[in-house]
Amino acid sequence: MRRSPPEISGNRGDRLKGMYEIFRKETSRILKSGKNEIMEAIKFEKVNFSYGGEEKDSFALRDVSFAVEEGEFVAVLGHNGSGKSTLARLVDGLLSPSEGKISVLGLDAAEGKNTFEIRKNVGIVFQNPDNQTVASIVEDDIAFGPENIGIPREEIGRRISFALDAVGMSEFRHSTPSRLSGGQKQRIAIAGVLALKPKIMILDESTAMLDPRGRKEVTDVVLKLNREEKITVLLITHFPEEAMLADRAIVMNRGEIVMQGKPAEILCREDELETFNLTLPRPVQICRDLRKRGLPIEDVLTPEALGEELFGALEERRKRVSPSEVPLSENEKAGLPAEDASFSKTAETAALSTEAGEREGKSDDSVGRIDCRNLSYIYNAGSPFASQALNGVDLTIGSGEFFGIIGHTGSGKSTFVQHLNALIKLPTAEKKYKPKKLKKGEVPPPLVKLTVDGYDLTDKKTDFRELRSKVGMVFQYPEYQLFAETVFADVAFGLKNFSKEEPKEEEVKQAVRDALETVGLDYEEIKNRSPFELSGGQKRRVAIAGVIVTKPEILVLDEPAAGLDPLGKREIMQLLHKIHKDWCKTVIIVSHDMDEISENCSRAAVFSDGKVIASARPSELFLSPDRLTALGLDVPFTAKVTEFLAGKGIKISSDFTCRDFVEKVCGYAGIAGGEAHA
Amino acid sequence: MRDVAFGQYYPAQSFVHKCDPRTKILFLIVYIAAIFTAKNFYGLAACAAVFVLVMAFSRVPVRSVLRSVKAIIFLLVFTAVLNLFFYSGETVLVKWGFLKITKEGIFYTIFLAVRLFLLVMGSAILTLTTTPVSLTDGLESLLYPLKLVRFPVHELALIMSIALRFIPILTDETGRIINAQKARGADFETGGLIRRIKAIIPVLIPLLISAFRRADELGDAMDARCYSGSKVRTKYKKLTFTWRDFLTFFIGAALLAGVILLRVYLPQII
Repeated sequence: MRRSPPEISGNRGDRLKGMYEIFRKETSRILKSGKNEIMEAIKFEKVNFSYGGEEKDSFALRDVSFAVEEGEFVAVLGHNGSGKSTLARLVDGLLSPSEGKISVLGLDAAEGKNTFEIRKNVGIVFQNPDNQTVASIVEDDIAFGPENIGIPREEIGRRISFALDAVGMSEFRHSTPSRLSGGQKQRIAIAGVLALKPKIMILDESTAMLDPRGRKEVTDVVLKLNREEKITVLLITHFPEEAMLADRAIVMNRGEIVMQGKPAEILCREDELETFNLTLPRPVQICRDLRKRGLPIEDVLTPEALGEELFGALEERRKRVSPSEVPLSENEKAGLPAEDASFSKTAETAALSTEAGEREGKSDDSVGRIDCRNLSYIYNAGSPFASQALNGVDLTIGSGEFFGIIGHTGSGKSTFVQHLNALIKLPTAEKKYKPKKLKKGEVPPPLVKLTVDGYDLTDKKTDFRELRSKVGMVFQYPEYQLFAETVFADVAFGLKNFSKEEPKEEEVKQAVRDALETVGLDYEEIKNRSPFELSGGQKRRVAIAGVIVTKPEILVLDEPAAGLDPLGKREIMQLLHKIHKDWCKTVIIVSHDMDEISENCSRAAVFSDGKVIASARPSELFLSPDRLTALGLDVPFTAKVTEFLAGKGIKISSDFTCRDFVEKVCGYAGIAGGEAHA
Repeated sequence: MRDVAFGQYYPAQSFVHKCDPRTKILFLIVYIAAIFTAKNFYGLAACAAVFVLVMAFSRVPVRSVLRSVKAIIFLLVFTAVLNLFFYSGETVLVKWGFLKITKEGIFYTIFLAVRLFLLVMGSAILTLTTTPVSLTDGLESLLYPLKLVRFPVHELALIMSIALRFIPILTDETGRIINAQKARGADFETGGLIRRIKAIIPVLIPLLISAFRRADELGDAMDARCYSGSKVRTKYKKLTFTWRDFLTFFIGAALLAGVILLRVYLPQII
């Protein structure tokens, strides 16, 4: 195994190839000589790891033993901070264990001389797509790995082609990474790892920062590599549907492996999942609820499977109950529009929104209300890089709504949101603005209207500072904007900025306390701590507190739950409802997670190509999933099941929340609400 | 901004764009040498002629080239004024106290201004027609011989490459943080100098923290991809010269020779 670095000479390529052959044979010989018939790609034996602390409780990994066979696809689940990433880094020799033995492809990871060989055979794709590329051109970046291990030039060229082809990115060989989408960047990162021809690939939450489309791109590639190239995969994820792709799942909790088994089986163990700070996947929750109401449904995780189960159960019931009693009337009773509920009915949505306002009983004309007509925006107007981000947006968001904004990356939703608190000002609101004189015969441009919380954003006389204190904006990953020495100072930052004269100390204290307590943090305990020493979830709460501290009427959040584990997601959404109930009138969330939208929002708008192409209640929006999927968007789980059932002739009209879905299915089956039928 | 084309690069498919970056760097050095060799207007005129030729073959709009002069306009005026009044010439045209304007002074001032103009605009052509990435590649290749004296050429090139990669990312990030703090009422536009410097702190700290975090992650990613310095490393990208480069070298050599001849055989003004 001892190899000297190759000398620079003409036949270097051949020599290297020879060495690789030797290495490959040797590895497989070692593997075959082992006692086990099944080859183990990764093996941990009683591994402990600590980032410094001596106490056993502070260990990042405790007594971890497990093995992954060659060619296996293993998913690793666990709450944030459970030790998943530590595990990945230990496999690759980026960290070494405090105690215990790790072997990778039969090589002892503890021995320094093996590190290089192990890294060559283990590829890791990390979470943030931006922090893994070293070059500004795709092919240069992919060449980085092979260059490092001294692969000759011609072979590198072949490997780049192979790797790009494997991830389906060949046409982007000469592109620049910063121009690509998140999913594409991650595929480039995978290609960069593939170019080293690894036998094992570890994905350390590689999909956490991607939208559903990007996630699918990445998981498709990973699945293909596992099936076709027989690469062993260790997939660290928070998404149950990704874990379902694996042959086996491992669940970690506080540094220990607590469950192992088939993903479908593990994801159904409700009590254990709760104990280990995970949540029961939504589909299983629905199955449970249906079973409680008396429908014999097995726990399943995919919409098709649930559709089949439901179809079977409903048919069974229909046979038992006399046909005349089958209460199809439930459909009519619900009185919801069927397929013909069309997209983009502006008049109707406007009516709907006022209705929503009245329903909440908060309809104070303008407070918390947003009115937008004909809003357009062009980035870099007048330059060769000009791009139209908004192209005539019409949207009304009523006071008191919990509103959702959806649309794929680049659809204009972020640009729209930034208009709401004048981070992007309308041209007419600029200080220098002078109205243009129209030439004869010229048609005047459509009148632009943008009123937010009673402020006219087209008018340069508007007090934009005051507006910003009334329209709170929480950006994606808001914890990255924390800067002060203490949590108190950070939360108070906005408050001090917005007050016209120096605010009284007592008032500041009270406001900060209120804000921190609203987001569920202990004021006394946390106020003097540094925001940087908090956990991820706590940081995000502090950041939200720093926005709501000025008591805005409207709160806009861009992907508030992004990057959190399932439990963290659930808690953040609960928090937003609390804020909506007793703090801010209108809450607007931008989200890619359609289940999040259908479960939480009173209405939602779909952005595409700089326009709002639909704005309606979830019950109407998700009625025709095809139209959303055509835009590269996802639909809620319940909508998928509904569509499946519709294809079998069973019509369920729900508002697509899990609760209502269960209710309506039971209605269909003729099960009265409330108590379970045994 | 979100492009390799940050900075000045003007995308086009011209003769100059297609030249090897090493050729362009070397040509610029020759061109600058020629400018400094010229001691009379004939020499400068030769340089200017070559400049115009290069510009014509670069298809870069004049406006873009002139924009680069804007940055040094103050320097230009400042030195021009100094030279105009303090150059010790003989033919006095105007005298006012201890200040005087001489004929030689005027010539000298114009000469220096033209020289500076040509210098700046010539350099601008390089950055306008070469992406930072290929500029880095070119520099690395040109500096390669320094490896013999243990100069860390590869490391330097990698640092530059990573810096280039992260400029657009950090620019975006800065924009995001500024927006986030603006939404919390931060004010970057009004107030005196000290107030403004203070206002930057809420942007600078998150940016620094993020940069460190990114550096950490990038380090791990590089380690995971077997980075171990330049020992066994090979290089995928190879620059090759074409007929364009040889033609350019010929023009460069001709320019330098011409300017030297003009300097020797025609009167010098400085």
